[in-house]
Amino acid sequence: MHNVLAIVRREFMTRVRTRAFVIGTVIGPLLMVVLFALPILLQRRQTAPKHVVVLDEGTGPLGRMMADRLAAERRDTVADSRARYLVDYVAAAGRGQALRDSLVSLTGVRDAGPAAVDGILSVDDSTAPSGEIDYVGVNVGSPAEMSALRRTLSPLIIQVRLSESGVDPSLVMRAMRPVELQTFKVSEGKVTGESGEASFLLAYIMSMMLYFALLLYGMQVMTSVVEEKSTRIMEVLVSSVSPFQMLLGKVIGVGSVALLQLGLWAGTAMVLTTFKGPIAGLFGASPATVADIGIPTIGPDMLAVFLGFFALGFLFYSALYAAVGSMCNSVQETQQAQMPVTMCIAAGLICMFALLSEPAGPLARILSLVPFVAPFVTPVRYSFSPLPWTELAASAAVMVLGVLAVVWVAARIYRVGILSYGKKASLRDVARWVRAE
Amino acid sequence: MHDAVIRMDNVVKRFSGHTAVGGLSLSVPRGGIFGLLGPNGAGKTTTIRMIMNILTPDEGSITVLGRPASRDLSPRIGFLPEERGLYKKMEVLEHLVFLGETKGLRRGEARSRARTWLSRLDLDGWGGRKVEDLSKGMQQKVQFIGALMHEPELVVLDEPFSGLDPVNSRVMKDVVVDIARSGRTVLFSTHIMDQAERMCDRIVIVARGEKVVDGAVADIKREEGSRHVRMTFARGQDRARRVLQDRHLVAEVHDHGASAEVELAEGADGPRLLDALIGAGAGLSHFAVVEPSLESIFISRVGAQAAAAMAMEATADA
Repeated sequence: MHNVLAIVRREFMTRVRTRAFVIGTVIGPLLMVVLFALPILLQRRQTAPKHVVVLDEGTGPLGRMMADRLAAERRDTVADSRARYLVDYVAAAGRGQALRDSLVSLTGVRDAGPAAVDGILSVDDSTAPSGEIDYVGVNVGSPAEMSALRRTLSPLIIQVRLSESGVDPSLVMRAMRPVELQTFKVSEGKVTGESGEASFLLAYIMSMMLYFALLLYGMQVMTSVVEEKSTRIMEVLVSSVSPFQMLLGKVIGVGSVALLQLGLWAGTAMVLTTFKGPIAGLFGASPATVADIGIPTIGPDMLAVFLGFFALGFLFYSALYAAVGSMCNSVQETQQAQMPVTMCIAAGLICMFALLSEPAGPLARILSLVPFVAPFVTPVRYSFSPLPWTELAASAAVMVLGVLAVVWVAARIYRVGILSYGKKASLRDVARWVRAE
Repeated sequence: MHDAVIRMDNVVKRFSGHTAVGGLSLSVPRGGIFGLLGPNGAGKTTTIRMIMNILTPDEGSITVLGRPASRDLSPRIGFLPEERGLYKKMEVLEHLVFLGETKGLRRGEARSRARTWLSRLDLDGWGGRKVEDLSKGMQQKVQFIGALMHEPELVVLDEPFSGLDPVNSRVMKDVVVDIARSGRTVLFSTHIMDQAERMCDRIVIVARGEKVVDGAVADIKREEGSRHVRMTFARGQDRARRVLQDRHLVAEVHDHGASAEVELAEGADGPRLLDALIGAGAGLSHFAVVEPSLESIFISRVGAQAAAAMAMEATADA
């Protein structure tokens, strides 16, 4: 225990004191602020309205209505309520082709000044029945702009068709209003008031955090093992510290650094979201813009499940990384050797996504008992609906056993691997090392 | 010798087909300095790693401090491995505290001992510097402190003096001698014969994984008898050499150019050789019957080829 503590302290102190840690810890929240502020700033970006010409070759009112509807269209954000389109209406009965040709020559020409056209909508009498509208423009490659145009014009066409058939469009619109599902989650017979969506989002965020924490810090465990082999300090340590202690100390030490950093970041996020209104104000946006941004609140049981599985997952994969480190002699070598571990992590994430459609199915149950994917799968399943405690306990037990088994195997590889300088371990070697006395 | 600090019985260690140590038995008595000698590849480091329980023997048994070799003994043993290594980014004092902790010292105790040792080895003022800022020799001294600061009753040093300049080498030699004087035991390996000759009470010479010589240095020399003559030539070397070729007088010659050490042949003695040399007209400035050096004993036991390899190493190190 004394030894493990000494190693934990060493790993923790030497890492926390580095410039990289301090910079990383500060830059993390800064990035968070930027991510938080970026959408607000982007919404405020000055974009000129698109200059659209409605070329009406028809006889009905459709062309006129379209021009009016487009002119009334606003940018659909709270922070920006300027017009989306600058519209010209041209009645072109009989001379559509000639007019269109001359308009096309003005389209997309940069130095045409105010006469420059972004796009031309051609409407004729067949438009309402067929629903086909010709649009020539510079921005046809932008799916966002094209779907915005479609969204604006579709209801209009429907409205015109309905009126032509003698149906009151407002009646139909009322009748067609879609269902709005208000969700409330039930947990152990009580309505919690939280939406299932929120807790799923949190589970999702947690999986992503585990993923990144593993990629960032799990690798640090691996690198530190390799580094130790290359500085050859191992020989002194291995005579007084057992590989199991060494490994446990490293995993816990690096893990504490990870938790400290993540904790600082989570704290920052909490402060940011608590004061999101004033902060948005600093960027000149109204507090309403950011009303939807926030960390969902969760119950203590779910928090416990999240943290528990986060810690177990971290221990499990860190131990795997340490085992990889003890097989390699240089950081370059680890690039290849770590592939299986990284793939397992990715598999865990993929399984988590795959389960979203059926979080209580038999596959989900089985995956909760596979230590490689359980840390990703179980919390997400729990966020959908609390698992029976037996299932939760089984998953946790499998994880604990998995951690112990991996640490044990890793310690064995470690024990022999640390002294096998200059020789790359084959799979057969590794198997032999695990069996070795 | 029941008070043996280290006892090895018929220890065998093989590495993928090649035998690093083949049936080695030795016994290190309590107190004093014990030398483990031999050329590169003789199995010294493997032997030491087995004593430290880093490697386990394939056959045979090892007891250390009266018990099977194990990590539990670590607080009572100080170890300086052949491969030197420290955490480069750590501060010297912090590093020593950490090493002390792994040997069972409490932090405060480790800190004060580390300070004392740093000033004893002329490293005052370096405690707050990073290990990587230190010269190689200084780093070696730091590691030396790490091996000794918990005052172990057994100190195992693998090639402790290699790579050190004469000044630092002497500082560390004094420390080793002090430990032995205080009744504790030092086992060190080296391939530098005259160093071992000056420091060790007992030695074992190994070659190709097997023991060649074992015993107290004084006994070994006595056994060899006073059959060695050392001479320095003033002039007439050629004439002297012709005499030294005579197999009735001389069994073996170690010619150093201006001087030579010879082993007398069976039945010959010093005065007869001196008469022959003077008769032949060789001019000698020095002629003495001496105890054999460890080096010459080693050469006669191991063979000239192994000895040459070792001499080259020693030169490279010096």
